[in-house]
Amino acid sequence: MSGNTGHAHASASDTAAAVRLDDIHKSYGTIPALAGLDVTLAAGEIHALLGSNGAGKTTAIGVLTGLRRADSGSVEVLGGNPQDVAVRRRIGLTPQESGFPNNLRVFEIIRLVRAHYATPLSDADLFARFPLQAVWRRQAGGLSGGQKRILAAALAFVGNPDLVFLDEPTTGLDVASRQALWQAVLLYRKAGGTTVLTTHYLEEAEALATRIVVMFKGRAVAEGTVDDIRARVGQSRITYRGEAREGLSGVTRIERFGEEVSILAHDADAVVRALVTRGVAFSELQVRPASLEEAFVSITRDNNI
Amino acid sequence: MLVIEHFRAQMLALARTPAYSSLTVLTPSIIFIFVGLSVIDSRQTANFLLGSYSIFAALGVAFFQFGVGIANERESPWEQFAHVLPVSPVTRFAAAVLAAIVFAAVAIAVLISVALLATDAGMPPRAWGRMLASVFLGAVPMALLGIAIGYWLTPKAALPGANILHLALAFAGGLFIPPQSMPDFLDSISRVLPTRHIGELTWAAVSGNSWPVESWLWLAAYTIVFGILATFGYRRDEGIRYR
Repeated sequence: MSGNTGHAHASASDTAAAVRLDDIHKSYGTIPALAGLDVTLAAGEIHALLGSNGAGKTTAIGVLTGLRRADSGSVEVLGGNPQDVAVRRRIGLTPQESGFPNNLRVFEIIRLVRAHYATPLSDADLFARFPLQAVWRRQAGGLSGGQKRILAAALAFVGNPDLVFLDEPTTGLDVASRQALWQAVLLYRKAGGTTVLTTHYLEEAEALATRIVVMFKGRAVAEGTVDDIRARVGQSRITYRGEAREGLSGVTRIERFGEEVSILAHDADAVVRALVTRGVAFSELQVRPASLEEAFVSITRDNNI
Repeated sequence: MLVIEHFRAQMLALARTPAYSSLTVLTPSIIFIFVGLSVIDSRQTANFLLGSYSIFAALGVAFFQFGVGIANERESPWEQFAHVLPVSPVTRFAAAVLAAIVFAAVAIAVLISVALLATDAGMPPRAWGRMLASVFLGAVPMALLGIAIGYWLTPKAALPGANILHLALAFAGGLFIPPQSMPDFLDSISRVLPTRHIGELTWAAVSGNSWPVESWLWLAAYTIVFGILATFGYRRDEGIRYR
């Protein structure tokens, strides 16, 4: 990414990192939101911060964009401090949903935000990425929820920044709008941009991201490529009534609640086949994708956190 | 220029809130017509009341645009977004001041037009200039008080709070009834109020007398006090929202 190389504060070995968080702690009152978050995000990638509600994703974005100050730890964004105006000129981000002045028109909001950046996107470039033409002269208060999300996303890109933060970008988007947004992110990456998005859907992270950081209770518990992470958190939950059998291969965890047996496993098919071939008596067999929470619990047990 | 872009956005948003913009611009003139006109019996009283109602108009902008406006914005996600845009708070504040000056100027222009049409009001150009100087300089401490209201009161409390302060300070400061007609106890309260001193300066200006230095000193003191209140309110709020 051209904007990052040659930055005065970045040493030669640092030029590939767009974001560096080191041992970040952040509490609201007595409630810890971030508890020693260590993350380094490479430039030029699409990173997903994946975690359930309360994992600290939004607080992490707040610290990264300069909206919030960490209690302790060091924050480096594009080689500098995100609270510096010079660094913020190279960052794009979305306002929270419905957070627009209701009586400003879409083009007036775009115009205001665009004025903050040195080499922003033209109207034509913006229309090529986001379906805003139809609502261009509409007041923000009259937009649908999905249209507001599209406008919010467009505001993150309109300054043509080096780094874009998208907090839960596709929540409440219809399929067509989601596709448009994903295309915009992919196009942005082709041009060398770095994207950091948050989501609590593994599928969304899989569809879009090139790298995933899994957050749990204010820390990064796993990071890697999409395949790495799917192998670790993409699990199934198998339940049945009957006998619990130890020693089945590929089982992460096996629990018994009275008559019911609950198995967490990476390959549900293999587990079911093994149950049959071993002649385990079972009834009411159910297989469903494990929730991220279930996967995180197993990851954190693996890591002894 | 960035300050112009923020100013433009603020003006557009305010102009499209007719309940706010028309009330701010028209209320002083309406009260002037219904209350002021009945007591005006000479050019001198017309000029006095024109000065008083101009202060009332500037006070309204200071309390509502800054006070109520800030209290409402504090909780808006858009403000949080604007906070992380690459722009200094000074630029955004300058845009807000510019918008307030425009609103106060329009409200006072309407008032002057009404006075010129309906009364015998009139003064030499120099007196007009001194009147407007007193009103706008006097609005500085009041705008700071408005900012303090905006940061110290909740959005729900800010509107009634600003209303009560607006009317109480205008009344007790002698903007509706001249200090000469006040009972003694009210006059002794009135003498320490900022609105009274803006009044003294403005009344001196419209009647061609020299400005009482004492009143400038009072306003300077109020500017410091309200400035401190506003600064602490702002810091406290920053500490709550952006910690």
